Amino acid sequence: MTAETARGWRISVDTGGTFTDVVVADAAGRFTIGKALTTPARIFGGLSAALADAAARLDLDVAALLARTDVFIYGTTRATNAIVTGNVAKTAFLTTAGFPDVLVLREGGKFNPHDFATPFPRPYIPRRHTFEIDERVDATGSVVRPLDEAQAAGVLGRLAERGFEAIAVTLLWATANPVHEQRLGQLIEQHLPGVPYTLGHALNPILREYRRASSVAIDASIKPLMQAHLRDLQADLRGAGYRGEILVSTTMGGCLDVDSVIERPVHTVRSGPAMGPVAGRRYANLEAREEPVLVVDTGGTTFDVSLVRDGHIAITQETWLGERFTGHMLGIPAVDARSVGAGGGSIAWLDDAGLLHVGPQSAGAEPGPACYGRGGTLPTVTDAALVLGYLDPAFFLGGRMQLDPAAAERAVETIAAPLGIAVEEAAFSIFAVSNETMINAIKDITVSEGIDPSEAVIVAGGGAAGLNIVPIARELGCRGVIVPRTASVLSACGMQFSDIQAEASAAAPTRSDAFDRELVNAALDDIDARLDDFAARLAARGFDRVTREYRVDAHYAAQVWDLAVELPTTRIADAAAATALVEAFHAAHRRVFQVDDRASAVEFIGWTGRLAVALPEISVSAAGSVAATPPGERAVWFGLDGPRSATVVRGAALAVGATVDGPAIIEEATTTLVLPPGACARLSAADSYVVEFDA
Amino acid sequence: MSEKDPAAVAGDGANTLSPMLLAVLANRFDGVVREMTNTMLRTGRSAVINSARDFSCGITTADNQLFATAEGLPAHTYGLNLQTAAMCAYHDDIAEGDAYLHNDPYSGNSHPADHTLIVPVFWAGRHVFNVCAKAHQADIGNSLPTTYHAAARDIYEEGALIFPAVRVQRDGRNVDDIIRMCQRRIRVADYWYGDFLAMLAAARTGEKRIHEVFAKYGPDTLARFVVEWFDYSEQRMRQAIRNLPAATVSRESAHDPLPPMMPDGIPVRVKVTVDPAAARIVLDLTDNIDNMDNGLNLSEACSISNSVAGVFNCLPSDIPRNGGSYRCIEVKLREGAAIGIPRFPHSCSVATTNVSDRLLNTVQAALADLGEGYGLAEGGIGMGAGFCVISGRDARHGDHAYVNQLIIGNNGGPGGPHCDGWVTYGIPVVAGLMYRDSVEISELSYPIHYREIRLATDTTGAGRRRGAPGVHITYGPSHHPMTVVFAADGQANPARGVRGGGDGNVGAMFVVGHDGSRTRAPSVGQIVLERGMWLEGLETAGGGYGDPLQREPERVRDDVLEGYLGLARARADYGVVFDGSPDDDSLAVDGPATAALRAELARARGH
Repeated sequence: MTAETARGWRISVDTGGTFTDVVVADAAGRFTIGKALTTPARIFGGLSAALADAAARLDLDVAALLARTDVFIYGTTRATNAIVTGNVAKTAFLTTAGFPDVLVLREGGKFNPHDFATPFPRPYIPRRHTFEIDERVDATGSVVRPLDEAQAAGVLGRLAERGFEAIAVTLLWATANPVHEQRLGQLIEQHLPGVPYTLGHALNPILREYRRASSVAIDASIKPLMQAHLRDLQADLRGAGYRGEILVSTTMGGCLDVDSVIERPVHTVRSGPAMGPVAGRRYANLEAREEPVLVVDTGGTTFDVSLVRDGHIAITQETWLGERFTGHMLGIPAVDARSVGAGGGSIAWLDDAGLLHVGPQSAGAEPGPACYGRGGTLPTVTDAALVLGYLDPAFFLGGRMQLDPAAAERAVETIAAPLGIAVEEAAFSIFAVSNETMINAIKDITVSEGIDPSEAVIVAGGGAAGLNIVPIARELGCRGVIVPRTASVLSACGMQFSDIQAEASAAAPTRSDAFDRELVNAALDDIDARLDDFAARLAARGFDRVTREYRVDAHYAAQVWDLAVELPTTRIADAAAATALVEAFHAAHRRVFQVDDRASAVEFIGWTGRLAVALPEISVSAAGSVAATPPGERAVWFGLDGPRSATVVRGAALAVGATVDGPAIIEEATTTLVLPPGACARLSAADSYVVEFDA
Repeated sequence: MSEKDPAAVAGDGANTLSPMLLAVLANRFDGVVREMTNTMLRTGRSAVINSARDFSCGITTADNQLFATAEGLPAHTYGLNLQTAAMCAYHDDIAEGDAYLHNDPYSGNSHPADHTLIVPVFWAGRHVFNVCAKAHQADIGNSLPTTYHAAARDIYEEGALIFPAVRVQRDGRNVDDIIRMCQRRIRVADYWYGDFLAMLAAARTGEKRIHEVFAKYGPDTLARFVVEWFDYSEQRMRQAIRNLPAATVSRESAHDPLPPMMPDGIPVRVKVTVDPAAARIVLDLTDNIDNMDNGLNLSEACSISNSVAGVFNCLPSDIPRNGGSYRCIEVKLREGAAIGIPRFPHSCSVATTNVSDRLLNTVQAALADLGEGYGLAEGGIGMGAGFCVISGRDARHGDHAYVNQLIIGNNGGPGGPHCDGWVTYGIPVVAGLMYRDSVEISELSYPIHYREIRLATDTTGAGRRRGAPGVHITYGPSHHPMTVVFAADGQANPARGVRGGGDGNVGAMFVVGHDGSRTRAPSVGQIVLERGMWLEGLETAGGGYGDPLQREPERVRDDVLEGYLGLARARADYGVVFDGSPDDDSLAVDGPATAALRAELARARGH
């Protein structure tokens, strides 16, 4: 490292199943994107190739790039993929005697009463790997049946003999009294030294045994894999000369130091979709937008949507890996990113009475849409986009891939012919039906939070987002769309804007009609003590811009589903503070459900403190125009009333402040923005297209 | 697509909606019903609503055809049309801002415990739709603390307050007289009112969303949509029936004996005629016994919905369930029959479950006689220990009263042509849709302590596709005595297999005394458990589909490893012989020995 080397750079990495995306932010906040194929065997191979790609664009080598970098943020789909493919450790599930089927019976539920052709899902850990432990704690935390240590030791002995690689422990009511789980932890260390294990009360102290057990089972099962993975990454980065901080992105839309994640790898599951709203929040903020923000990320097979309100990203306790009811519940709080099967690769089909459907089946990347010319023949949304003139067959992905318009037309014809309509009408209908799936996903997340989409602005990311986001926003009556020029790497951009985050929770149940301030304040003290430890560790490494906030999960007496309410004060100092909290709950209930019940007592259950340590601020600045390609024109369908002549503009030719009026197409190297008549896009100083349109 | 978009009227004729708009609007209305459902789940007070989801939301047209039901329970949703018809018949001054309470089994409801809140939806002064929220209540003021009064001689002994489409809101404000009547009569009135608010929140949410759809698309497009959506649904159903073989099949089964009321049980008889040429199915239920002097008579809605559900279970599962698809099925009912149209004042207190479960099972099993690949076995049956109504006082909350139906047990689903039974099936009329209570939430909400919930071994109906197992469940009160009321089935007559498949197990309930003694409980009755006493139940498995000797040996091995099947029954029922042991990952199928044993068993069974 030389004396004149600039510092203050930041690198974020999103390692997907196919591509590794790198975003480098220099000290001035200029973003440079690097891409390479992922190398699953040793992740650093693809990662260093992607770093080299970005470095080359900056006229640097990797060593020089790393020398300028203080913060390295790593995101990976490794855990998610391992779970989906079942490629996880041989894991034992230890449960309270009498209740071996927590992971089998789950919480019930099924979509369709008349469907007897879907197999019942297998439990995350099979029954044959489930072991009952003689003990029982009741709802008050009293020990009803003491832990039989001899029996437990016998079980652990068998686990050692049979070569189990990880252990998940979830006992009933360990959240109320963890004494038995703690003792089991000691016994595991004694009988199976070095075998990773996870205890329910320590990982995820929530009520409802299935979702707690599920999070514990997932965490334990990926511990061997993820611990090795992250340690390799750490070693490889250090080996390449990197000396700065290594952070890992989490499912809460923040990041954690790599040592914390090694302890709790479940937090890396679905961290990619969690980063979309972090990026969206920032891009909306840069445009000085204060309304609720809907963040959408459209890929080839899935459409993710999430919500930011008042600067807060919506969080959920119910994230499913796979389909709801037949997948596995993640069980930990996660950014509420709803995924539906809709994207560029979604396949259009007709049912036996001639109704058009799009998806959820997808052509994926292989064989891909018909127009990719890789053997796909089924009509996809991308084929429809080509038929309608939205895509330039010669400039797809900036010209990296040539598309076959004739193949697209043949595919869409298989829909048009049976319906007796023109191929363009069929293509437009495919778009409209696909849009409807996305519109419903957006409504689902907004209405469940009591937000009207017409109050919101959309931030659109993902390679395919620009094709249909304007008609979707129009249909929802949204107040405009922001499409960052880096839209195609939204997750990696999100990491650039994320905070280091930690949460601590405590159960302190109390009721509004007998509010126990002492109990609650003691719980908040305990939470603060745990967060203090974490903050001190980071402060020692120079991260000291700390904020804290507190929330409580509450419900009306006898309800069992909680609403999270932010605490108006850091402690409940007096009766007035308690009243303010109760009022905040009534208001939240009315906003979400249209009714409140002021005659009813409110029960407050779980209290959570959230610590955020801000990374140094990044100020995004525009890359600036590079090439003056003159605008072109082509015929494009925006409705069923025939083609319109649309202006075609290369994004790289636009200067900050430039506007483009629809009908028009803006082509970027990794994305395409379609502007129907009546829509207008302006390139902002923060390097985003801000689209407005008539109703 | 904006309103100006010509897509709205494109297609082959000026009055036909485009295929695009048809799909868009269908999804939109299902979205409305889902949002209503979510609202009710999250705001309800009783576990039967907020944990078990024993409720359904739906939309009927202004002329009272069933229109959209999304994921509602079949037993709830059919009949919403009859109920809104009753509302229209009984009131000539229906206005915007009204809401009606309906639970009358003699004018379209399922059974009195399913309170239904109906809100008529208006647009530009015209009555256009009705939104309905129907929820099983924790209590309805019966003479006993249960919502299933099996012994009730008539509606008077049953004791429920009956609301034949009674106005409970005018101009968006409660009719307080009605609310006060309910609060005087229904146990734990504060939670009842909380559940009432949850239903209201769901219905008003639905109304608001329908207004938004009208504002967007206008009444003409929507009127057209209603017609075309029913036609489309009918078309799907006709197509499905055309794919079935022509046949008339009959089947009889029976609800368990109910001494002293029905010592020989209750026979259930169906005759199904499939006419693919006419794309029509006729369900003839007229050969059933007369109304009984107990609470197990079916309402008209239950007779229709559960027999039709048996048919839907055997057809492609994505056919919309609405007035359009129902046009293809004729259900022949007899007035005054226990399965048919009930004659007032015969009680229908238990209409939605016991005999309904049998009816549904009988229809789907009858359809298995059409041939290989058709129909289903019978599903596990009976509201045993895990489905009782518990009540008492909660010492943890100042002796506040509680009453609630547990939904924490489980009967296993039936084997079918494609799949083994669905494990979290519940009972046939629910078909796995309901959620199960969490042990921890149940112990927190009520003064109850569970000792065991475990899937049973060696209980499933064997078959090429087997039934799913039921559970062993044991619980008792954690403080004061607890009253437990039950009306079970399946403790004498199990769920039957079809096409060579075996039957599921017979269920049972035991009271465990202070001294650990076990006494068999009756299948219908009421007991009081003191602290230190337990109710222990074995629930039932589904029947099997097809010859067990045709089951892939690897699936049998998996069932042994997962503990659903013991080695002895693997051999006796399935003819599979193993090497190794299930305890050390060494279990393997002995191929030649299995083939030999299967050949021998096939001869012995006369195949």
